[in-house]
This record gives sequence, structure tokens and C-alpha cells, in this order.
Amino acid sequence: MHTEAIDPPGIIWQRVSPKYVTVRVVQWAVGNLLTVLVLALPLFLVLMDVWAWPPLWLAVTVPSVALVLAIWRLVLIPRQVRAIGYAERDDDLLIRTGIFFQRTMAVPYGRMQYVDIGVGPVERGLGLCTLKLHTASPGTNAHIPGLPAAEGARLREQLAARGEARLAGL
Amino acid sequence: MTADGPRPETGAPIPGTGNAALYPQPGNAPDGEWLRVHPASPFVRGWVALAAIGFFFGRDVFERSLQGRPVFDDELAGRAPWLLVGGATVLLVSVLGFILTWYFTKYQVSGGYVRVNSGFLFRQQRQARLDRVQAIDIVQPLLARIFGLAELRFEVADAGESAVRLAYLKIDDARQLRATILARAAGVTTGPDRPGEPAPEAPEYQVLSVPPSRLVGSLLLSEQSLFVLVGGIASVVLSAVTDNQAFYFYLIPAVLGLAASYWGLFNKGYNFTAAISPDGIRLRYGLLDTQAQTLPPGRIQAVKISQPPLWRPLGWYRIQVNVAGYGIVENAGEGSARTTLLPVGTLGDVMSMLALVLPDPGTPEPAVVFAAGLNGLDSDGGFITTPPRARWLAPLGWRRNGFTATDTALLLRSGRWWRQLVVVPHQRTQSMALHQGPLARRFRVADLVLHTTAGPVVPRLTQAGTGAALALFDEQSARARLARKRQTTEQWLRQVVPAGSEIPHGSPQEGGQHG
Repeated sequence: MHTEAIDPPGIIWQRVSPKYVTVRVVQWAVGNLLTVLVLALPLFLVLMDVWAWPPLWLAVTVPSVALVLAIWRLVLIPRQVRAIGYAERDDDLLIRTGIFFQRTMAVPYGRMQYVDIGVGPVERGLGLCTLKLHTASPGTNAHIPGLPAAEGARLREQLAARGEARLAGL
Repeated sequence: MTADGPRPETGAPIPGTGNAALYPQPGNAPDGEWLRVHPASPFVRGWVALAAIGFFFGRDVFERSLQGRPVFDDELAGRAPWLLVGGATVLLVSVLGFILTWYFTKYQVSGGYVRVNSGFLFRQQRQARLDRVQAIDIVQPLLARIFGLAELRFEVADAGESAVRLAYLKIDDARQLRATILARAAGVTTGPDRPGEPAPEAPEYQVLSVPPSRLVGSLLLSEQSLFVLVGGIASVVLSAVTDNQAFYFYLIPAVLGLAASYWGLFNKGYNFTAAISPDGIRLRYGLLDTQAQTLPPGRIQAVKISQPPLWRPLGWYRIQVNVAGYGIVENAGEGSARTTLLPVGTLGDVMSMLALVLPDPGTPEPAVVFAAGLNGLDSDGGFITTPPRARWLAPLGWRRNGFTATDTALLLRSGRWWRQLVVVPHQRTQSMALHQGPLARRFRVADLVLHTTAGPVVPRLTQAGTGAALALFDEQSARARLARKRQTTEQWLRQVVPAGSEIPHGSPQEGGQHG
């Protein structure tokens, strides 16, 4: 994995589990396939001669555009998952996400208020978990999804210990 | 840094002082005693409910007398006893409720904590650590002001809900309690030779005030007025074009709403004064409802100085701040007033407020740097701006968008017409993130977002060159780390020199022994 433009140089990123792709695909299916099906409803009705109004070209275009977008998102998922990374530095935790819209975040250990671990139904089946960090700022939307459960627990303990040692006031 | 260290004689609440049912004065009450708020407070707070009951039962009679019908006819005479009994019952129940609420609401300042117990069906106990106090407000709604009462609000660091409220106390008691809380929070020792003596109120020096004429001017020239003007012209043109006179009727609600909004801003901003005392910045304002805020030193998380385009000829600025605990506003009028450090002021006012917020600017020539941040372009004052290659992303703003860092704070500048300068002290940075979208990547620029507590200030550096943004990301982590190490206690008198006195340059918030 090459280093992107906005990543601080010389960081060795820890990647999340490749199994997280499955979680994302399930989420994708729930959202996108339903949307495409609903949008395709007028097409069926027009084909069955129940509806007269949407002309055939419109009834075809809307769901097919939605379908193309949905497939585009599906194709991106493995790359997006590979782009998620985190690195424990001496004083802060770095988290990066995104390919098109990249974000690199630094959360100082001393600023962490608490650390959450969440497990959804699909994640539980795959033995994964999601780690969330909270600071005093609601803007710190820091979460690392797709961690193997053992790694998640280790990271939580590690972060809690480091936070304890460096805890600062507000 | 145990907060109850300074007052060893206050360790345990004194069990023998049993007559708390009377109404002891908070000022000279022994430490740790449970006290009650003023007996009249539920009525001041619940006058709306009482008025509603009165209105409900009085309306019938009133309408009859308006319609010229006899107030007492046979039909009413039949119902009168029931009406009277019903009214009396509702009144009795609410008054009883008020009295019970009052009876079961008790508060205590002891050790390092302030505790409030309330509720009689659902008991609630709330306690807040004194050294975590973020702000103390004394609020006086009009009715409370008439009776000489005041509400004390005590904000701790938690966005929104967790304010401790004491409503209502006598105004002198509220002031005394505020002084006591602030003194304890600051770590002042009253001395063992004077146990139980109330903490003296810290002296204060007025720094600036906003004359009413300037407030009115600022309201007339605000962004809102601009929209009013545009809307007015549009409606006149519309009515002329469509030849429709009834059109104006639709404007009446809009005009009423606008008048209410202007009135709210005027009422809140009237007679604004700022003062400095050893326990923090004091803000006072209000025409009918008055409010006195105290922001202890170092509690301000981020500052925004902005200037709408119409204010520029007059050289006026507005200062807003993020304070942990004030959070996102519940209702716009109240909240925006609380997070406003200066509703309208000149450059000189802005500089003196900044000196209060940031006693050590961390640069040898603060006036030059901050003036460049407010009005400058390009590299004035050492700002690093958007590189010329990205000028098409921000054709107007690229010469303004920029940042510079002093030893103590990061300055983010933006906006060509809506000028804005955001100042974030290094030790208040929570976390930060670099953002880059596809278009920004093509122009090799990136955004840097600093995360701070909830509030009106959102520090974001837009479209800095990738190299500069990356360098800043690293440097800022290091600076924030250093600043956090330097700041070790929440009890500010043990940590900082009072902001009012002269600080020798280059010796910032260091020193002080803490246990």
C-alpha cells in the first residue's frame, strides 16, 4: 500500500481485517439493493401496462443510473477497506480513511475521555468489532471498524492505559 | 491536587447543626451544611402555571362580561360551586407541589464538591467537582429581578445537560456563593485562623463596555438587516408588478418575527460590560433580564473574531467563544448571547479582550500579528496562505485563507468579505484531522480541522498547501503535547499569574506547587 499525499511520512499503518469487506457488502446490499428495487417499481408497472405516466425511457433510466452507482460503490468497497489504517505513535493515535475523500486524524492519548467497543450482528459472526474513541469534542468522530476482536480488546486496554498516564484536563 | 486540601476543617459535614429547615444565609453558614433556595423561588419560576390557571378559570367570566351577558346567570349558578371547588383544588395542588419542590431542593458546598438534591417523587442527586467548573452565571429574569432574586448556574465540562442550577437565591447570597465556589475552585485558602469566614469577592476592573448607540448601529448593519432590505425591495417590486395589494398582509408575520428577533438581540446585548478579576472574565449584559457570566481563566476553548461586510467601514468586530459546558445552544437567543464575548467592538476592544483570553500571546509583537489576522492579506504578520496554484478554488479568499502559530496559540484566518479569525490555544486542542478531496488533491492542497468542544467556533484551515498542512499537522501535535504537559492543575491560582497583573514576557503558565 503506497503512502498517500496527506499521510505523515514514515508511518507504518496497521490495516483492518480483510473480512471487514463482508460487513461492508452486507451494509451495501441492505441500502443499495432496496433503493434500486424501489426505483425499479415504476418500470415493472409500466411494463405491465398498469401505469401510463412515466415514459419508458425515464422508467428505465432512473433505476439503471441507481444500479450503476450502486455497483460503483460495491467495486470501491475493497479499496476503501484497504485504505483504513491506524498507527499508535508515542503520544497520539493516527487514523486514516478514504480514497477519494481522504482523512487523517490524530487523537492524543491524553485527550481521550473513553473508548467504546461495538459489535454488530454481522461483525459478531465474523469475529470483528468496531472501536470508537471519544474526546471532549463532538467533532472527534474517530472510529476504527473491522478490528479482530482480540486486537480490539488489546487496543482498548492499550489506549486506556496510555490515556491514564497522560490524562490532561480540558 | 485534592480540592479539599486547603480546608482541612471542612472534612466532614457537621451533623449537629439540625435547624436547616429554617433558612440560613449561605454566606455565613458553616461549611458542609445543607441549604435551601429562597422560599419564593417556586412561585417566581411557576408564575406561568399560576397565570394559566387564573386565565383558564377567569376566561369564562371575562368573556361573558365582554359580550354584555350577565356574569351570573342560572346556568353558571348551577356550575359555580363545581368550578370553584375545581379551581381551588388545582390551585391547592400546584401550590402544594411548589412547596414540596422547594422543601426537597437542597444544596451543599463542601469539600471539593457542590451537591444539589431535588425532587420528592423522583429524587435526584447531582454533584459537581468545583475544580472542574467551566463557568458560573448569575441570571436574573425580569420577575426575579423585581423580587431581588437570582439564579446561579454552574457549568461543568460536559456538553449540555449537566449544569447545576440553583433557582432562586437572594442576589447577595448568589454573589457570595459564586465568590465561595470560585475561591474554592481556584484553590484559595481562607486560612485556619478564620474558619467559616466567607470568601471575599474578588476585586474586578472594568475593561470595556458597549454603548447602546453602537449596539443599535451593529444591529441595523447586521447580516439580518441585509436580508430584510433585500426582502423588502423584492416584495415592493413584486406587489408593483402583480398589482396585488393583499400581498402586504402576508408580510405581517414576518415583520413581527423580525421585530421579536431584533428586540431579543437588543435586550440581550444592552449595557454589555466586560471586566477582569483574578477569578476570571466577568461579562454583564441585559436590559430586562440581566445576566452576569464569569469565565475562569483558561476555560475558553476557542475564539472567533468576525466582521460582516457592512461593519467594515465602521471598524467593528464580534467575538464568539467555545466554552465547555455551554455546548450547542438550546434556544438561539439565550445561547448565542452566552457564547458571545463581545457583541460589537472596535479594534482596540478586540485587542483588550484577546489580552484577557490569551494573557500570553506567545509572540513579541501581538498587535501586528493579530491585526494581520483580522485585516491582512497574503503574508502580512507571518501568515502562510493558500498557494497561488489553488487560486481558482477560492478566487476571492485565497489571499486571506491562512494560518500562523505563536508560542501559545494557532491563528486561522479566512474570508475576504466575511472576515474571520479563529484563535485556538495550543493546550485546548482536542484532536485534529487532515481532509483532502479529489479536487483538492489535483491542486495539491488540504484542509486541517481542529476539534474543539461544542460551540459556535469551528476551527478549520481551508486549502493550505499539502506540504504546509502536513508540517502544521506534525508541529501542532508537538505543540499541543508540550502545552498539555505544562498545564497540570485545574486550580488556576496555583498555576497562572492573575491575568490582571503584569506578566513578564516569556514566563508563561509555569511554576506553582501542586500536591
